[in-house]
Amino acid sequence: MSNALLEVEDLRVAFAAGGREVRAVNGVSYTIEPGKTLAIIGESGSGKTVGCRAIMGLLPDNTAVSGSARLRGSELIGLSDAALRRHRGQDMAMVFQDPARSLNPTMKVGAQITEALRAHRKVDRKQARAQAVELLRLVRIPAPERRFSEYPHQLSGGMRQRVMIAIALACRPKLLIADEATTALDVTTQAQIMELLLELQAELDMALILISHDLGLAASYADEVVVMYAGKVVEQAQAKRLFGTGGTVRMRYTRALLDAIPHLERAAHTELPVVTGRPPDPTAIPSGCSFAPRCRSAADDCLAKEPALAEHAPGHSWACWHPCDTNGGAA
Amino acid sequence: MAAQLPDSTTLLAPGSAPLPSLLSARRLKNQKLARTLRLWVPGSIIIALAFICFVWPHIYSIPPGNTGSILAAQEPPFSPGHWLGTDPDGVDIFSMLVYGGQVSFEVGFAVTGVGIVIGGLIGLSAGYFGGWVDTLLSRVIDVLIAFPALVLALAVAEVLQPSETHLIWALSVFSVPAFARVTRAGTLVVRELPFITAARLSGTRSWRIITRHVLPNVIPGIVTFSLLGIGVVVILEGALDFLGLGIQPPQPSWGAMIAKGQGVLTAQPELVLIPSIVLLIFVMSLNLVGDALRERWGVR
Repeated sequence: MSNALLEVEDLRVAFAAGGREVRAVNGVSYTIEPGKTLAIIGESGSGKTVGCRAIMGLLPDNTAVSGSARLRGSELIGLSDAALRRHRGQDMAMVFQDPARSLNPTMKVGAQITEALRAHRKVDRKQARAQAVELLRLVRIPAPERRFSEYPHQLSGGMRQRVMIAIALACRPKLLIADEATTALDVTTQAQIMELLLELQAELDMALILISHDLGLAASYADEVVVMYAGKVVEQAQAKRLFGTGGTVRMRYTRALLDAIPHLERAAHTELPVVTGRPPDPTAIPSGCSFAPRCRSAADDCLAKEPALAEHAPGHSWACWHPCDTNGGAA
Repeated sequence: MAAQLPDSTTLLAPGSAPLPSLLSARRLKNQKLARTLRLWVPGSIIIALAFICFVWPHIYSIPPGNTGSILAAQEPPFSPGHWLGTDPDGVDIFSMLVYGGQVSFEVGFAVTGVGIVIGGLIGLSAGYFGGWVDTLLSRVIDVLIAFPALVLALAVAEVLQPSETHLIWALSVFSVPAFARVTRAGTLVVRELPFITAARLSGTRSWRIITRHVLPNVIPGIVTFSLLGIGVVVILEGALDFLGLGIQPPQPSWGAMIAKGQGVLTAQPELVLIPSIVLLIFVMSLNLVGDALRERWGVR
């Protein structure tokens, strides 16, 4: 019996769109332990958000989900909306990208927090208010009593994201999914929100899933990193194995992403290596490695046969026929 | 109370003057005034009309609006006792306007009210739940919208006795699908906003999401639409009265006045002109208030 908080196994998600099957997630597995941070990295459309929404049961009815996601041993996939409601907020919560639209503009901030509280706990109005103010204080909002009776438009973006976090934490979930939670914020606010999330994570002993396209974020904050491409996990390891001293990235896609980050140390006027092309059409995923069409080191076998995700080194899995060598350079 | 955030004015260096404004104070003031007037001029016209129709007859005694003395027939405007004159039957024109206006107000607001409640409920459920609920309700709405208005009003007048209540129900058949469509469209937009997902995520129940999160965000659109809707209903009602399918004489109505005046158009054009102008002012005011509210609430 493992002590994992969330175990995702072979998760697959497909949509029907215009008579064609869109395969958004193609067999994703990962586990997260209590109190740990997992970063799921990938570009737009790689299935990172859809996968998490599938776990939360937030996908529309025309979606087919298979595989398994067990939260402390109890299966989440296939649960009815009513059954999921008991888990949502209570055991797992989510914060989204766009704080401007994640709060109801017609409701006071405080009411939106107490609503989340009262969905699960039998508390009267007065207690709920006190707890909501406490939550606002927990997310370091100055003058919480005053903010309680303000509307979302009176708050700044960072402040709104703090409120979103307060709502997510209302019932002290064991798992918080931050779906690009800092992407819409400016860089200084981004850092503040990340610090806040990590402080709260330690304070409340919860697990954190960071969904992002920002490798830097993963490198600085995550314990474990999962890199997704075209609905599959292409590389998975401890963050320090990938980005720490002596550690290295093996999958070519991750390498390409890392190389595409501009560095000040680079000589002036050198061309920034970018990942050319676009991700494969999810309605027609090519045979072979899905990254092969964009990979500079692609060989014939890459196009012929798909590499499976396997643990090639202890604690480090990747799906690549010709991984980068351990010096980080080209093989 | 915890520490107040510093006010923006206190952040200015001591002794420094506030930034000079680039826009003249007059321009800003005019803009504000125009905004206020755009809502309150048509708004007060509607309030004044409502006052004249519903309160005036209780304060001042006015002649009956359905009968008159033949001895005082076709009196011109500004005659003693009949300041807008009388029609060929000697009925006071102002009284007919007042009592006819009551009908217009009642029918306009009742039909719109029925539309908002029933249509809103249909649109909200169709938009929020989607799937087969949406398909079923949308088809019903399509059928109702395709139904010709006058044919139904005719049928109602034929089968049931024409009366104000029946008129309201007959016209509601058209307001219900119109409001259902508007509400459904608004709901579809709001449903996709992240705060609805956030509410679902915190374990909030569906009915609570609908009443607390969806409804308050679609209401501005419904209200502005309803003001335009009242105007349309008032005109439709007038048209039905004109055709003799709505309010039956001798009960006065604006449409019936115009129909009656048609016969004496050359001899007494004011009998057609007066109710037409009042109808025009009323409907235009409703539309202008709708536009002003739309501007304020930023709904499209």
